[in-house]
Amino acid sequence: MSLIQAENLTKVYGTGNTAVVALDHVQLTVNPGDFVAVMGPSGCGKSTLLHLLGGLDRPTEGAVSIDGQALAAMSDDAVTELRRRKIGFVFQFFNLIPILTSIENASLPLLLDGKNAADIKQKAVELLTKVGLGQRLDSRPNQLSAGQQQRVAIARALITEPILVLADEPTGNLDTRSSDEIVDLLKQVAKAWGRAVVMVTHDPRIAAYADRIIFLKDGKIVNDAHLEAKRTDNAEMVSHMMRTIA
Amino acid sequence: MKFQLTLAARYLSGRKLRTFLTTLAIVIGVMIIFGMGIYLPSFMDAFNKSLLSASGQTDVMITLKTGEAFSASSTLNRIKRIKGIETIAGSLERTINLPPDFYGKDSPVSALTLTGVDPSVAPKLHDYRLTQGRFLERGDGKVAVISERLADEIGLHVDDTLKLPTPEGVVKLTIVGLVPGRTLIGNEQVLVTLTEAQKLFDMSGRISVIEANLTSQDEAERDAIINTIKTQLGDTYAFGGLTSGSEFAGAMQLGQVVFNMFGVFALAMGGFIIFNTFRTIVAERRNDIGMLRAVGASRKTILSLVLTEGLVQGIVGTAIGLGLGYLLGVAMIAGAGSITKSLMNIEMEVVVEPLLIVVSITLGVGVTLFASLLPAWNASRVTPMEVLRPSSGQVIQHISRLATIVGVVMIGMAIAGLLTGVFAFVALGGVMFLIGLVLVAPALVKPIANIFGALLAMIFARGGTSLLAEGNLTRQPARAAITASATMIGLAIIVGAGGMMFSTVGTVMDMFGKSMGSDFLLIPPSVAVWKGDVGASATLKARINAVPGVGVVSSLRYAQSTLPPSAQTGSKGETVVSVLGINPVEFPQISSMDFRQGNAQDAFNALAANDRNVIVNGILATAANLNVGDVIPLVTPTGIKNYRIVAIGGEVLSMKINTAYISQASMKSDFRKSEDIFYQVNLAPGADPSTVEQRLSKVVENYPQFRLVAGHDYTAEFRQQYNAIFGGFYVLLALLAFPSLIAILNTLAIGVIERTREIGMLRAIGATRRQVWKTIVAEALLLASLGTAFGIFAGLYLSYVFVQGMSASGIFKVAYTFPLAGVLAAIAVGLLFGVLAALLPARQAASMEIVQALRYE
Ligand SMILES: Nc1ncnc2c1ncn2[C@@H]1O[C@H](COP(=O)(O)OP(=O)(O)OP(=O)(O)O)[C@@H](O)[C@H]1O
Ligand SMILES: [Mg+2]
Repeated sequence: MSLIQAENLTKVYGTGNTAVVALDHVQLTVNPGDFVAVMGPSGCGKSTLLHLLGGLDRPTEGAVSIDGQALAAMSDDAVTELRRRKIGFVFQFFNLIPILTSIENASLPLLLDGKNAADIKQKAVELLTKVGLGQRLDSRPNQLSAGQQQRVAIARALITEPILVLADEPTGNLDTRSSDEIVDLLKQVAKAWGRAVVMVTHDPRIAAYADRIIFLKDGKIVNDAHLEAKRTDNAEMVSHMMRTIA
Repeated sequence: MKFQLTLAARYLSGRKLRTFLTTLAIVIGVMIIFGMGIYLPSFMDAFNKSLLSASGQTDVMITLKTGEAFSASSTLNRIKRIKGIETIAGSLERTINLPPDFYGKDSPVSALTLTGVDPSVAPKLHDYRLTQGRFLERGDGKVAVISERLADEIGLHVDDTLKLPTPEGVVKLTIVGLVPGRTLIGNEQVLVTLTEAQKLFDMSGRISVIEANLTSQDEAERDAIINTIKTQLGDTYAFGGLTSGSEFAGAMQLGQVVFNMFGVFALAMGGFIIFNTFRTIVAERRNDIGMLRAVGASRKTILSLVLTEGLVQGIVGTAIGLGLGYLLGVAMIAGAGSITKSLMNIEMEVVVEPLLIVVSITLGVGVTLFASLLPAWNASRVTPMEVLRPSSGQVIQHISRLATIVGVVMIGMAIAGLLTGVFAFVALGGVMFLIGLVLVAPALVKPIANIFGALLAMIFARGGTSLLAEGNLTRQPARAAITASATMIGLAIIVGAGGMMFSTVGTVMDMFGKSMGSDFLLIPPSVAVWKGDVGASATLKARINAVPGVGVVSSLRYAQSTLPPSAQTGSKGETVVSVLGINPVEFPQISSMDFRQGNAQDAFNALAANDRNVIVNGILATAANLNVGDVIPLVTPTGIKNYRIVAIGGEVLSMKINTAYISQASMKSDFRKSEDIFYQVNLAPGADPSTVEQRLSKVVENYPQFRLVAGHDYTAEFRQQYNAIFGGFYVLLALLAFPSLIAILNTLAIGVIERTREIGMLRAIGATRRQVWKTIVAEALLLASLGTAFGIFAGLYLSYVFVQGMSASGIFKVAYTFPLAGVLAAIAVGLLFGVLAALLPARQAASMEIVQALRYE
């Protein structure tokens, strides 16, 4: 069974003359272990797609099911619980809670789930160490660099051992080295843990880590390509595809 | 739940200043309610105790329900042979208010209880335990036994003489013995023989208390005996002590209502500030909230998060408020204690009713929770989408059209209510008016901000700072309106209360001038609480009349009475009434009354006609639902007597107390009282005031219980006292206005915090610190002017409503006085508060490090 099943996914913002069709009848299936990159020019609907897949927003038309559960049929609370337990988010803007420490920020979804604080802490420390923040466990977001903050966000996305990780330009604000580390981490999540990862990016080099690339233009999927992990010229290939599409 | 607590604690400690300020608002509200709640009942408690201390430890104690003296022959003689009574005796007890410094300068004794006892029976009823000298003996004349404490306080010993003011002038008694002081608080005791007491007060054959011990200890038998006595005496008598009501208690209840009102105002104010803060807190944390929602916090979690924060603050604020309130209560008791001790001989102790604690906690925590409810609900409606789009972070706030319409409707209804003139509608209108203004405020912000903006532009001429400030306000009308509303409510209360005070003072002074306009007055130690005043017999009046140069003399006499419970008013208990005896011919020549029903000429003629006719004052008429033509049964020492109401009216002496005016002739025949307690004297045409004053002071020399003052001096003195009392209210007002300062500070500070990034950007592109500072101050001034304008408007309305309400309720007619001083004070306070409140955030904004500001989330 596929993990994400999106049918005719359409999102229209506004009405009448000012209506913007951000997504236009998108069909998409993602399976466990998939590492999918979403690419396309600015304003083509990448973020919108991610928000709909994560149940943050409701589509104008069409339907999404995650792990066999149709989001449309669920209450707000049920979708919230689904997000909390099965989906991890990483956003371009880090959106950490400023008054909480790294550990607490990373633990947030479990804390919200009412889990025992002691158990969570151990898990959070483990994850933060894994993302390379073992030394900054008790720092507040404003004491961390952008790359460090993004690692906390990734730790937070992974702490519930979600079946799906949605990342919107997770490396958008990072230097090359941090970007590589982060995307490597996401790849591990997909490959080693067998989860699905959907990542929006503008960077062909980052996209090349994925094993599948979806190109969006004007709210429609214009290309859905598989990459072979063995090849070393994937990045150039992606750049080439981008140019042909634009 | 633990997680919510952690988050709440973090947020609270992360914004220490704000947390402190919001909590302070709750603290002040709870403090006032709790402090006043401690003070007033303690006062009443002490007062009641001092009344109760008059009751001894005998099995039965019988008094007239009104507390007045009664004939011994028709009572004591009738019941003394009832089977089962072991000992029975009548005594005459009288409180004597002493003129200041009667026993030498700074003497702590201000009142005495003189008791005339039967020397042969009294020792069987009470264990007097003499410590020195001997007890009274039959046939003793001007001889007294006094309490040790009194002897100590005035430095007298056995065989010394004790001076006492009486209606026949000062008398001297020889002290023959000392008894230990009373265990209960009360006026110090002077014992004389019953015969002597009756002589001293010209009350021959009269007693005020019957005490008896019974032979049986068996409950049922005792009840049976007491019932037999009751049937013998009839229902004008009280058993076991004085009836609860007293004229003074009535006056106190009014005070309690006023104080409670202040407490509720303060708490409402606190609630408003909390609401205000939580609203801004939620606005400020939109990002965090959206984030929490995105990673899986349910709406309920967010709701309980904000409510938890409110709860924590409510609990902490209430706890501190209780502590400070306790101190306030204790301080007031200590402060007022020395005054009441010397004035009324009441000693107060701190009493905290469990109910008061419950009420204070419920109100404090409840108001906080309630105030955070709406913002919490709003917070739970924040969607993750709102924060995931960084560009859409700060949308321009929309003015809710619905709120504006509801506000306008409420103001309309308030005005309609005012026009009906019905007290309930008028009062309700006042509340609706305030709420309406708060609702309409956002819509009014923009146009008014434009006007004031133009003004400010002139002041801050260059730099575009006022433009920025004005822009900030019009971009966020709702927040601006909330800040302005905080000022508005604070000032509305100042102006409103100011208007009420000016109107009341104005009216009272006017009445005072009419009633106390005579050339000279002879005033007893306590005016309006007449009970303990010792007057003078008719001799004094005759002697005053004989003074050359004296024109008219009018005197007042006093007796205490009650109205029985009545179905007409639904009153379960007895209504306590002060009865004033006037001379219907002399009184109108020298003083005047304001009449609500009936007119002066008919009323005084009716009183002169020697029937049982009465003029009742507005308070009594309203309380007992009385009208001209009604017949009221007044309890008198000679039984219940029916009086017919000929007019409803009053003057300054009866302002706060249920009062009935009857003729002195009726007072003498029904109440057996002919003692004058108050005189008003007018000069004969052409007489020289200072010569007459000298002569008069000679005449009253032997009556130290009276103070001779010129009418205009007394008016000035009264005005001063009145202002002193209202001065206390101003302190309370300031206490109320203080939270509104906090509210402005709060919203401004939040405004600065919210715009941190924006300010950083302004600085980055070249705005100087000075310019940033000016922008914030200009914004504060704008807000303060807005709030002040609204506040004055609302305050004027409120005070007008109050005056209308007072008049509509019929308690007493108040003429409206425009509170010019209040308005000026409000303008000053409003603008001053605005600038004060701006300084801190402005400094903070100006001193912001650019890099830090840009990194701020
Ligand atoms: N709340 C909104 N109201 C109106 N239009 C919107 C809203 N959110 C997005 N849009 C429009 O929908 C389209 C898709 O937006 P979206 O954010 O999904 O693009 P994107 O592919 O993520 O772009 P970028 O790469 O710049 O982040 C855009 O044209 C955008 O203007
Ligand atoms: Mg995007």
